[in-house]
Amino acid sequence: MRDGPGDRAPLGGRPRAPRARRIAPLLTAAGAVTLTALAASLALAVGGHDPGRVASALIGGAFGSPEILLSVTLVRSVPLILTGLAVVLAFRAGVWNIGAEGQVDAGAIAGTTVGLHAGGLPPLLLVPAVLVAAALGGLGWALVPALMRLRLGVGEVITTILMNFVALNLAAYMVRGPLQEGRGVFPQTDAIADAARLGVMVPGTRLHWGFAIAVILAVGVSVLLHRTRTGFRIRAVGTAPLAAAISGRIDADGVAFRTFLASGALAGVAGGVEVAGVTFALYEGLSPGWGYTAIAVALLAGLSPLGVLATGILFGALEGGAGAMQRVASVPAAWVGVVQALVILAVLALDRVRRHGLGALTVPSAVVVAPAQGDGSVG
Amino acid sequence: MNAGGPRVRMSAIVRRFGSVTALDGASLELLPGEVHGVLGENGAGKTTLLNVLGGMLPADAGTVEIDGMPVRLATPRDAWRHGIGMVHQHFKLVSPLTVLENLALGYRVRGHGMRLPLEAVRRRVSALQERTGLRVELRRTVAELGVGARQRVEILKALLREPEVLVLDEPTAVLAPAETRALFELLRSLAAGGRAVALVAHKLDEVLAVADRVTVLRSGRTVHTARREETDADALVRAMVGDAAATSRAASGAAVGSARLAQLRPPMPGRVPDPSAPTATGSPPPADVVAALEGVSVRRRSGGRGDASSGLLAGESPPALQDVSLDVRRGEVVGIAGVEGNGQRELALVLAGRLAPDEGRARVPARTGFIPQDRTTEGLALDLDLTDNVALAFHDAPSSRGAGGWVGWMPWATLRVATADLIARYDVRATGPGDRARALSGGNQQKLVVGRELRVSGDLLVAENPTRGLDVGATRFVHEELRRFVGRRDGPAPGVVLISSDLDEVLALSTWLFVMAGGRLIEAPDERRSREGVGALMLGAAP
Repeated sequence: MRDGPGDRAPLGGRPRAPRARRIAPLLTAAGAVTLTALAASLALAVGGHDPGRVASALIGGAFGSPEILLSVTLVRSVPLILTGLAVVLAFRAGVWNIGAEGQVDAGAIAGTTVGLHAGGLPPLLLVPAVLVAAALGGLGWALVPALMRLRLGVGEVITTILMNFVALNLAAYMVRGPLQEGRGVFPQTDAIADAARLGVMVPGTRLHWGFAIAVILAVGVSVLLHRTRTGFRIRAVGTAPLAAAISGRIDADGVAFRTFLASGALAGVAGGVEVAGVTFALYEGLSPGWGYTAIAVALLAGLSPLGVLATGILFGALEGGAGAMQRVASVPAAWVGVVQALVILAVLALDRVRRHGLGALTVPSAVVVAPAQGDGSVG
Repeated sequence: MNAGGPRVRMSAIVRRFGSVTALDGASLELLPGEVHGVLGENGAGKTTLLNVLGGMLPADAGTVEIDGMPVRLATPRDAWRHGIGMVHQHFKLVSPLTVLENLALGYRVRGHGMRLPLEAVRRRVSALQERTGLRVELRRTVAELGVGARQRVEILKALLREPEVLVLDEPTAVLAPAETRALFELLRSLAAGGRAVALVAHKLDEVLAVADRVTVLRSGRTVHTARREETDADALVRAMVGDAAATSRAASGAAVGSARLAQLRPPMPGRVPDPSAPTATGSPPPADVVAALEGVSVRRRSGGRGDASSGLLAGESPPALQDVSLDVRRGEVVGIAGVEGNGQRELALVLAGRLAPDEGRARVPARTGFIPQDRTTEGLALDLDLTDNVALAFHDAPSSRGAGGWVGWMPWATLRVATADLIARYDVRATGPGDRARALSGGNQQKLVVGRELRVSGDLLVAENPTRGLDVGATRFVHEELRRFVGRRDGPAPGVVLISSDLDEVLALSTWLFVMAGGRLIEAPDERRSREGVGALMLGAAP
C-alpha cells in the first residue's frame, strides 16, 4: 500500500509498470467499494431499511443534477482532496501524519487572520496571501511533531493526533478571543474581505476556484513523486529507508522531515481554501473531520495523488448525499461515517490479501506461554 | 532410559532457509555431566543446530533423541517439556518489567489462575541464586541492567525450569573476561551435577578452557568431534576452515586468483602507511592511492539513525573501529577478513563514504560503489521496480536535463535504458526493468546490485560479504566481475576493498590481506596467507 505500484504518472516519460501491477490498486479500490456496499446493505436491511431506497436517496443527493454535482458533491470534495493529498505525500515518505485535521485548523486560522486584516490588497494578491498563510499555518503545525521525530525519535502517529486536539481548542479560543466577530455574540469571526475570497468557478453554482487548485495540486504532487529527483527520494525513503540511505546516499531523515512539513502545508491549504471559498469566516468545528476522512481517501486511492481526485469526489458525494438520505430514507446522516469506516477496513483487508494471499486473514497461532514442566511444581 | 547413553542425540539434521541449506546432515551428541563446545565459522550452522534443539526451528529432516527416545521438537514448549533449556544469543527479555517479573513470565502455578506467582518464584529464585551464585537484583527492571546482568537473568530463567540440558548460544560475546570466568565456573558446576551443557562460542581458547568435548561444524555438517584432551587449537582450526583435502578441492578457484594476483601485485611492500615516513599531514597522497584512512576511529552507535551501523552495546564498550590506517591503491584488492562484529561494518561504511569517522581522516572518492552485505534491506528497495533500484545509485548524478540537486527531473529514459543494459549484461533473470525487485531471486537481486555498483564506481568499490547466501554459480559470477573490474584496462584501474567473513573468498581475491579483530586492522604477513593462518588471526592470535 505504501508504494502504490500502479500509480505511475500518466504523463509519459516514466516506465510503465506491467499491466497487472498497474490495475491492482484499481481492483483493490473497486473490491473495497463493493464489499462496503454489501456490508452496508446488510446492516441497513437488518435495521429495517430498504438498501435500494437508501442508495438511491444517497446517489440522488450527490449526483441528482449537474447543479447538485457541482454545488454539493464537488464543493465538499475540495477539502477531502487537499487533505487526501497531504496524507498521500506523507505516507509515501513513510511519515504517518494523522494530524491533517489539526493542520487544517491551523491553516484556517492563519488564512482567516490574513483575510480579516489585509483587506486593502487587490484580490490578485490577497487570495494568494491567504493561501500562503494557510500553508504556513499547516506547515507550522506539522513542525512540532516533525521536529520531535527528527530530533527525539518520537513516533509521529501519537504526536500528530495530540496536536489535532490542541488545534481544535486553539481555534475555539481564537473565535471567542482575538478573532471574535465585532458584535462579540457568536463564537466566530467576521467575514473575511471580499478581495480575500475565491471566486465562483462555474457561474450559477457554488463551485469555487478551490476545486481547480485541488486538481492542480493533485497533478503537481503526482509529477513531483514520479518525475522529479525529490519525488524519487521521497518514494525511496518511504519504501526502504535503509536502502535509500546506504545505496542511495539519501539523507532519509531529512527527506522525511521536509515531506512531513510539505504534507502539513497541503493540509493547511485545505483549511485556507475552505475559508476563502465556502465559509468566508472561521468558526468552531469548521472541519467535520476531513483530516481523518483524508486517510480513507488516501488509502482507497492506493496512495496515488491522481486517485485521490476520484476517491475525494466519492467521499464528497457520500457527505453530500447524506442530507438527502436522512430526509428521504430516514437514515441518520451519521451513517455516512460508518460507510467511510467500512471502506478503510475493506481497503486494508484487501490490500493484505493482495500481498499475502487469503492466508493473511487467518488468526495467528497462539503464543507459547508456559512450560508444562513448571505446572504445579512450585509453591 | 538407557543409562550411560547420551542424553541428547541429534542425527542427520537438515534445515533449509529458502534456497540456502543451513544444516546439511549435522549431528550432535550431548552426554550427561559434560560441557560440550560447538565451534564453526560464521554460517557453519551452529546457531541453527542449537535452535533446532531448542524447538525454535523445526528441522526439515533428521532425528532428535532424548535419553534414547525419539522426540518431536516443534516449539520451544516441546523442548522445555523434554528438559531442554536455552539461553539465546539475543536476549529475549521484557525490558520494562522487573527481573522477578521476567523470571515469573510463563511460569504457571496451579491455584494462581492468570496471576503471576511472584512470591513462589521469588523463593525459588533465591534458592537458585544461593546454589549458583548468579547475583541479580530482582527488583530492578531489565532496562536498568547491563548486558552481563541480563545474561544472568536469561540463565536464571532457563535454570528455573530445572533443565536436564542447558544450551547457550554465544554467551560470552557480550561478557567481560571476569564475567566469562564466572559463567564458566557455573557451567562446570552444572555439568558436575549431571546436566548436559552445550555451548556455542566464537573464541577457540574459551571453548578449550571449559569444554569436555568439542564438536566442529562446517557448511552445515559435523566434521569433527573429539574429547578436549585429544585435540588442540590447531586441529580445531583446521577442522573449522577445512582440512587439506577440502582445501585442495577449493584450490582450483583460488589458483586462478593467485595467478592473477601475481600480475596485479606491484613490487612495493607495506600497505599500512609507515609512521616513520615523512608524510606531513595534508600532503597529497601518491597518485595511485584512491582511498586513504589515517587513524580512523568510530564509536559504537546505539541506534540505527542516520547511519546503518547497528550496535547493541553503548557506553563503556570499546570503539567499533580503533585507529585504523589503510591505503587502497589502483589495481589492488584489499581483502579484509574477520569474525563478524569486529568493526568490519564500520570500516566498510567509512570507506564507502557512508559514515564519517569520529576521529582521524578518511579520504575517499566521491563516487564510490558499495555492495552492502544485506541486499534485501540495504542494497535494494524491494517494493520498487528495477529502474527505481538502479536510480538509487544515480539519482543525484548530473544529467543533461539539469543539475543533480534538490530540483530537477529524473532522467527516466536514460535510467530505463541503463537498467535494461544491466539486466542483459549481468544476466539478471527478470521480465524487464518494470519488475519489482522483490520478484527476483536472491542471486539475481545480487547481480543487479553488483552490476549497479560496478557501474557507479569511479575509482573505488567497497564490497561487503558480496556472496553471502549465494549459490556456487552466482558466487563465481560475483568473483569474476570483481576481478575484471579491478583489472580494468580502459583507463586508470580502480581499487577494490573486499570485506568478507568467507575466508576462501578473501584468500582467492585479495592482493593484500588484512584481518579485523577487536576494531583493529592487522595486516596478515605472507606466511599467514592460508586458511589456518588467517583463521588463527581472526580468533585473536598474534600476527
